[in-house]
Amino acid sequence: MNARVVKALLKKDIALFTSNRFYLLITVVGLVFYIGIYFVLPAQLDEKLSLAMYAPVVPPAFTQLTEHQSVDVKFYSTEESLKQVVLKGDYQVAVALPANIMETWAAGGKPQITVYYASTAPSEINAAIVALVKELSYAQTGKALNFETTEEILGPDMLGNQIALRDRMRPLLAVFILLVEILTLASLIAVEIEQGTARALLVTPLRTSDLFIAKGLLGVGLAFGQSILFMALVGGFSHQPLIILTTLIIGSVMVVGTGFLLASLTRDVTAVTGWGMLILILFAVPGFGTVIPGLISDWARVIPSFYLTDTVSRVANYGAGWGDVGMNLAILAGFTALVIWAGMQTLRRRYQ
Amino acid sequence: MNLKRIWTLVKAEVFHGPKDVVLVMAVVMPILLALFVNLAFGDIFTDRAKLGIYDAGTSPLTAKLASVGSMTVKTYRSEADLRAAAANGALDMGIVLPSDFDAKLATGTVNLKAYVWGESLAKNRVVIPLALNDAIRELTGAALPVNIATMPLGDESSLPWSDRLLPLTVLIAVFYGGMMLPASSLIHEKQRRTLEALNVTPATVRDIFTAKGIIGAALAIIMGVLTLAISASFGGSPLALVLVLALGAVLAAEIGLLAGAFIKDMNTLFAFWKFGGLLLFGPAFIFMFPQIPAWIGYIFPTYYVIKPVTDLTVLGLSFGSVAIYVGILIVIVFVMGLAVMNIVKRLRTQALRLN
Repeated sequence: MNARVVKALLKKDIALFTSNRFYLLITVVGLVFYIGIYFVLPAQLDEKLSLAMYAPVVPPAFTQLTEHQSVDVKFYSTEESLKQVVLKGDYQVAVALPANIMETWAAGGKPQITVYYASTAPSEINAAIVALVKELSYAQTGKALNFETTEEILGPDMLGNQIALRDRMRPLLAVFILLVEILTLASLIAVEIEQGTARALLVTPLRTSDLFIAKGLLGVGLAFGQSILFMALVGGFSHQPLIILTTLIIGSVMVVGTGFLLASLTRDVTAVTGWGMLILILFAVPGFGTVIPGLISDWARVIPSFYLTDTVSRVANYGAGWGDVGMNLAILAGFTALVIWAGMQTLRRRYQ
Repeated sequence: MNLKRIWTLVKAEVFHGPKDVVLVMAVVMPILLALFVNLAFGDIFTDRAKLGIYDAGTSPLTAKLASVGSMTVKTYRSEADLRAAAANGALDMGIVLPSDFDAKLATGTVNLKAYVWGESLAKNRVVIPLALNDAIRELTGAALPVNIATMPLGDESSLPWSDRLLPLTVLIAVFYGGMMLPASSLIHEKQRRTLEALNVTPATVRDIFTAKGIIGAALAIIMGVLTLAISASFGGSPLALVLVLALGAVLAAEIGLLAGAFIKDMNTLFAFWKFGGLLLFGPAFIFMFPQIPAWIGYIFPTYYVIKPVTDLTVLGLSFGSVAIYVGILIVIVFVMGLAVMNIVKRLRTQALRLN
């Protein structure tokens, strides 16, 4: 490797990248946009069932609600104020108990309970509160069910310590930042091939390996630099920073290899954008699995970016260690080696 | 303008025009997006609890639970499948009803096994047992000790995410093909100098622009209708819907023709699409997030396409309710048409060199 030549090429490529206002702009705006998305999303997850209640007399079974860790109840002094909090959107559902509820039950009657719900509330919220009121009424009148159940919690029990949506999105956004660089790198190479400057370069004493090293360094630098900045700003290095760094650097090299492959298999920048978008969408799919658990099943493992997203997610959100993600990293490194080799081979042919 | 020549140009464009990535993206992307939105977002982000059931016997409880409105219920063929689904988060809770479930229930005992996903929300862990209890009580014929009246407050209604995303999928379907196809076609012609060659023939620049606009608009209408078909969203006025889509398609083609006239190369066109896309798809975000003030939508021309489409499909309103938006859309299409005609005139008088 000729360090001077690589440095000169790198300088030229950086100049080419910064002179293309479009790519420069989407790189900067994109990064700001992803960081913005993260901070706009709520930091906490509201996992409790919230309801407002008007109860001049609170039956003993209903008082259990206030002690229940999964239910958040707030009492109001009048039925009118209860309606107002629903109309204002503070609560989606509210329950009004009659003043004579205990007397009615004692007399063997059926008291009238009113459930108010916001018309914008999903129907399941209303149905759940109605079921809750029914069950409390059964319990109050001594008709509790006799349960003989066994329960198994699968995975770590995150009750009270749920992962907020923005933290679930963190691996997706970090990986997306990496993936966009496939387009940037492939476009830069495609421009050189299209304009014939790549062949002109190879007439000089420059070796093809120097060309790949320069392009690779630029691609890795762009992808890795941005993803590190993003993860640092959104607290992605709070657990096992070394694993996250290792994963991101392997991911950056994978991006470079994919960029080489894409540039070598497409005719021009238009084709790079078109096919690159399809690759980007495909590679982004596993990220959606981390945002919405259960959305994608085991088939997503055939997409190489799964091992990148899954590793970042498990480490950043669940505190996984080297032993937990070792296999993921090995598969990711193997694929990266394959794709970088294939990319260099095909691109070498294209250059020559 | 000669209709016969336009038809010849349309045929030539369809059979011999560029079959490049723009065409592939215009056809593939909206279909993929519509399929994805419908498959993935059908019941995602609703906060609805997800219950899975493996019934080792034939308990009527399974059917009873399936009809409960407070959660999504899915049945499984084996306990292993149920457990796997609960483990990967596809379910909040999976319950196994043993073969003697009904026999034990007759003695007043509820006997079952439950798998709970560790990341299931606390409220879902409350909602599912409540719904289960409720269904069991109904099954056993227990008399409800209260009368419950439910009363909605407010006059708005909630929309599922699949409906909120419909404007975005329709806009992409109509505007990607409708705009990019005529624009890329014109740019190709300019780059290969075939536009000048065509101008030597009896075909006028107006004929060429009209032919390219027709192809873009036709593709946009087809993709718009296809997207709505995939989303099963035709509402009660399909003819009115097609009219709105047709106007939107013409608007997209007009923007495409203007872009094609001004832009020199494909890179700039894609850059224009990426940034102009924010303006075109702005209204879609207003439908996605009702918290954004609705008046912001009035600024965007595409609002007058997507508002009637949404009102006709998602809300099931009649054409009369959206006539005002359609009227404004017609005015926008007319003004854009005048702009295109002005460009055509300038191209004619400046020997096809506009820029």
